Amino acid sequence: MPLDLSEKLQWILDSTSLLLPELVLCFGIFSILTIGLFKKIELIVFQILAFVTLGSCALLLISDWPFVPVKLFQGMMRVDDFSSYFKILFVVGGILTVWITRQEGLPKYRSEYFILILAIVLGANLLVMSMNFIMVVLSLELISISSYVLAGFRFTKKAAEGSLKYFLFGSAATAVMIYGMSLLFGLTSTLDFSSAEFVKKLMGEKSSLLLMGGIMTLAGFFFKVAAAPMHLWAPDVYESSPTPVVAFFSVVPKLAGFGVLIKFTIAINVFGQASFDWQLIISCVALLSIAIGNFSALLQNNLNRMMAYSSVAQTGFMLIGVAAISVNGVHFMLFYATVFLLANFLTFLYLHQFEAGYKILSVQDFAGLGPKTVLPSVFLLTGLISLTGLPPTAGFTSKLLIFTSLWEAYDQSGKLVLLLLFVFGLVNTVVALFFYLKVPYYSFFKTSEITRSVPKKNLLAENLLGLILVMGLLLLFFQPGLLMGWINRINFVL
Amino acid sequence: MSHLLTALIFIPIVAAVVALFIPATSRKVFQYGTLVVSLVQVLILILIFQSYSSSIANSGFHLAEKYSWITLDMGAWGQFRAEYFVALDGMSLTLIALSVIVMLIAVISSFTIDKNIKGYFILLLILNGAIMGSFCALDLLLFYLFFEFMLLPMYFLIGMWGGPKREYASIKFFLYTLLGSLFILIAIIALYLSVQNPELTGQQLVHSFNILHATDSQNFIAGSILHPDSVWKLGPYSARMWAFLLLFIGFAIKLPMVPFHTWLPDAHVEAPTAISIILAALLLKIGGYGLARLAFPVFPDAVAEFSWLIGLMALISIIYGALNALASKDLKRLIAYSSVSHMGFVLLGLVSATTEGVSGAVYQMFSHGIISAMLFLLAGVLYDRTKDRQIENYSGLSSHVPAFTAFVIVAFFASMGLPGFSGFMAEILVLVGAFKSHTTNFMIPGWMAIVATSGLLLGAAYYLWTIQRMFFGKFSVKVEGAKLPDLDQREYIMLLPLAMMALCFGIFPQLLLNIINPFAEHLSNLLSTISSTIKP
Repeated sequence: MPLDLSEKLQWILDSTSLLLPELVLCFGIFSILTIGLFKKIELIVFQILAFVTLGSCALLLISDWPFVPVKLFQGMMRVDDFSSYFKILFVVGGILTVWITRQEGLPKYRSEYFILILAIVLGANLLVMSMNFIMVVLSLELISISSYVLAGFRFTKKAAEGSLKYFLFGSAATAVMIYGMSLLFGLTSTLDFSSAEFVKKLMGEKSSLLLMGGIMTLAGFFFKVAAAPMHLWAPDVYESSPTPVVAFFSVVPKLAGFGVLIKFTIAINVFGQASFDWQLIISCVALLSIAIGNFSALLQNNLNRMMAYSSVAQTGFMLIGVAAISVNGVHFMLFYATVFLLANFLTFLYLHQFEAGYKILSVQDFAGLGPKTVLPSVFLLTGLISLTGLPPTAGFTSKLLIFTSLWEAYDQSGKLVLLLLFVFGLVNTVVALFFYLKVPYYSFFKTSEITRSVPKKNLLAENLLGLILVMGLLLLFFQPGLLMGWINRINFVL
Repeated sequence: MSHLLTALIFIPIVAAVVALFIPATSRKVFQYGTLVVSLVQVLILILIFQSYSSSIANSGFHLAEKYSWITLDMGAWGQFRAEYFVALDGMSLTLIALSVIVMLIAVISSFTIDKNIKGYFILLLILNGAIMGSFCALDLLLFYLFFEFMLLPMYFLIGMWGGPKREYASIKFFLYTLLGSLFILIAIIALYLSVQNPELTGQQLVHSFNILHATDSQNFIAGSILHPDSVWKLGPYSARMWAFLLLFIGFAIKLPMVPFHTWLPDAHVEAPTAISIILAALLLKIGGYGLARLAFPVFPDAVAEFSWLIGLMALISIIYGALNALASKDLKRLIAYSSVSHMGFVLLGLVSATTEGVSGAVYQMFSHGIISAMLFLLAGVLYDRTKDRQIENYSGLSSHVPAFTAFVIVAFFASMGLPGFSGFMAEILVLVGAFKSHTTNFMIPGWMAIVATSGLLLGAAYYLWTIQRMFFGKFSVKVEGAKLPDLDQREYIMLLPLAMMALCFGIFPQLLLNIINPFAEHLSNLLSTISSTIKP
């Protein structure tokens, strides 16, 4: 029903007041843009500005906790606990990225770098709140276009190639996704996928158009989360982008994709009444991602490429939480995502430190470094162990929980593919261990003839961050209740 | 006094954390600090024995400590609950005693390490705590934590301080054991979702990681996948059979049983002496311990179902391990394969499901721990002097190093099961149990016991042949520039107590059997009862 102007204005006014965290981000973007007009601004100024922006955004999110679900802008978006938890993760991801960005990694376009990062965080925030296909496309594109530019920030030929590749793949994926959405729109005559109308129309719908539309839409999300077979861009982009950006890419846009993927999957699954087995599709993609990610990573020597495939495999593990299609699955997925954020940033922090300090790009370059750089090597090892999923790191707990939810789903439905995913996923840890351990293997066991000069640089801030992340990973192993207690209170409603 | 086990587990771990802050140059601090930790553990062990012997009459668990560790509320799904639960029964006490003794010897033997002392001793301390923890833990998650926690220190200890092919050996060890432990993890998750805590039956379902809860079939949740009446089937087997197989393979890799044993010779040959000792004397025992503590009592029906296959596997390990030992040219490899053969007896004793057999299996674990520690020490003594372990390069050693020869002969005889040594008692008990099984509970057929006996013969063959080749005949050492001084004081300190113990527990087996027997009776009763309902 069309609304008159005053009602529309009322919607906009009411909704805007609830978008304060996003407005803060916009304000931050504008202020960096303005200051960036002046020449010769030190990097630290931008860093502080970005910190303040993201920090106040985080404070706003935490101080307003818990959120009562409220619809904004006539049901385009919704503020709730679920999306706010994701938003906190994005903001933390942004802060960590800004923290590990170094002077020498950023020769020019400094202000733009931070603007793009903030823009992606903003896009991610909007994406997880979206309840409407239009809003999904808009915020997804905000993330994507900013990412295409950011991917080229090494300003080399290779970076341009990676960036272009990302752009081409990304545009194609978006086009496919929009096509799928239009099919769904045709079937349901609504763009709001959380609405009762959408669910009602899909209930018992047997048309293969639904299958096509759903798969195409999912494909767009799979592209964003880098799930196989939509992962092809990841290795090239990861290899050519600056390392802090890679760390950022492998967490923030990915988790944003997961936020919307979960909502969409649950909507299209219509409480298990769907005539197509969406659980099967998600499980197959998870299976494929774990297999392709882990086995391809085995063959990689370039660190960023290896981490790209590792991130594909991690996507597969997070998809398990989605495939379970249960409240526990979603909760455990959130726990997994949080631990992944910590472990991934810890790993990239030190990969970046070694890259900047010792010009290390491949696994073999680590030879003999371990005993010389004990603290960073041990911290890096902790990150890798957590990504593998071994105790005593939170990586183990998160894997245990997410597999528990999968078993529960299997126990209820008895679908063989879930059992296969369960066994195959767990056993894949052995494969994962092999490539994750390559780095400590070379740095501790191998010796090298090359004598490297130890760079004289004060790394206190970085090592402090490393220590915090390591402590976080250990703490969440011994006391997962600290975080799970919080996550468990998140009310997930469609 | 009530926190003895916690002290035993965490003193080394706390010491490891403290050691992080000690500068790497203070070599003596690390050596003697670790030694002090081990001595303190010996003291705690004495206290444990004291409080244990006062309550030996009943067969249950002692010195229990139980605190809630992780409690997560899962809404409609019940409660996720893991506990810090440690306690000792006869079997774990035996193995804890073994661990404390062997760790002490291993620390003394580590004094020769001169590369990267700090890292070495910190890892050794962590390993120490993890081993103690896995023998005490009665919560599945806690057990798994300690079990996994051993891998990483071991990986680095082999990989950084090992022999020429150490990288290959360490990664092989890690991947094999991790694969095994993942199988165990799958079974643990399934068990956890199927078992409820009988003490907390409010309106909410409380799942339990408690091993004792899992051993009582009353506690399986009706309709859950591992419930004895569950109809779930995959291929020919029910869920319980699959879960047992997963646990069994996981622990069989650790034990190790043929065909999962191939990591062992490599790891042993490449590991430094002290680590070989720990690997053979303690880590292998965790495989046997896991079977006796978890796999067998939780799934007795599956044991009855697969007893023939398990028996065959034990048999193949005994014979194949011995034949490989016979063919080994490297002294350490020979000892490693002899371990495979001896651990076969552990499995045979367990699967015979008779009181004698199970007692013998636990006794064999203890005895093999003592004797294999001695064997690897002796191999290390030789390697320290000449950097060569090829049997064919030595002959007539007895004329030049009489003390060394004497100890080798004692260790070899003890290991081959000569009467008067602990190995004899263990193997005779296992064989008695194996023979008895086919007349009482039909777990394994009689011919297996007969064939297993030939393992003893093969053991005598490879040991005697080695003695003949290396120690008798004309003296020659085909290693350039090798000097061969006899044992020094430090080596005497390590070897003498081990030799005395091998002898002492061979002559007075009652010392240990009194402790082991209640456990053995309990397990054999459990298995035999099930078996009598399934088998004719």
